[in-house]
Amino acid sequence: MVDLPLEDVFPGLRGQRFDIKSPKDDAYNCVAWAAGDGGNWWWPDPDGEDHWPAGVARAETVAAFRDAFARLGYTPCDHDQLEAGYEKVAVFALAGRPKHAARQLPTGRWASKLDLMEDIEHALHDLTGMAYGSVMLVMKRRLTVPQGEKAAEGGS
Amino acid sequence: MSTVPLRQTPEALPPESAAQKFQRLAALWRAETAYVSSTSDLVGHPAFLEIVGMGPAVVPLLLRELQNRTDHWHRALRRITGADPVAPADRGNIDRAAEAWLRWGKEQGYEW
Repeated sequence: MVDLPLEDVFPGLRGQRFDIKSPKDDAYNCVAWAAGDGGNWWWPDPDGEDHWPAGVARAETVAAFRDAFARLGYTPCDHDQLEAGYEKVAVFALAGRPKHAARQLPTGRWASKLDLMEDIEHALHDLTGMAYGSVMLVMKRRLTVPQGEKAAEGGS
Repeated sequence: MSTVPLRQTPEALPPESAAQKFQRLAALWRAETAYVSSTSDLVGHPAFLEIVGMGPAVVPLLLRELQNRTDHWHRALRRITGADPVAPADRGNIDRAAEAWLRWGKEQGYEW
């Protein structure tokens, strides 16, 4: 794989704090990572090569991504700020087509798998740009474990 | 009286082997899709399409790449061969997809 500086691909990261949290791995992608699955590639490809929740439309639309995360207990919400007792996911889209998903950490920062590359922690909107577009959907669900335990799992 | 310098005719490059062409295209594909999650963007990239267009000649090269567990070459194999050896339960599991294709390759008598 190649080693492009992340800031070249995501100019919003330039001068901002972001932390690389994993080695490169092409076994899972951003959607899987946002969904809590580090072992599969999630995408609604029409050929059915990738994992996608059963019964959800295999369509590259924000609505299909909303429905996929709804299967995991998420409901749409109107902001991406940290809310006690909830965890959040965000879907980026470009020209109406989903390109990326991220999940919020207990710290309020966001975790993203940069697809064939690494996981990073970052401020949500620092990935906005020509690669992933911008945040088009934020969803939340109640945390099922105490926040303190979740924070310990997150590492940071 | 000035003279016009003779134009240097570039020497013809040696023809590119299938393996060289594949590696060139694969490197381009990797470089330009490293941050891509969309499968349709991955398989719609011009370098990927050109690899698929190389046809059966590239199958052993793809199997060799899968043996080394690099990249998502199962996607190209499916498009070139029309075969689909990955079990439905393993859709999205890149390691199991690679294993299924390597089994398929052996069953078909490919050597890589």
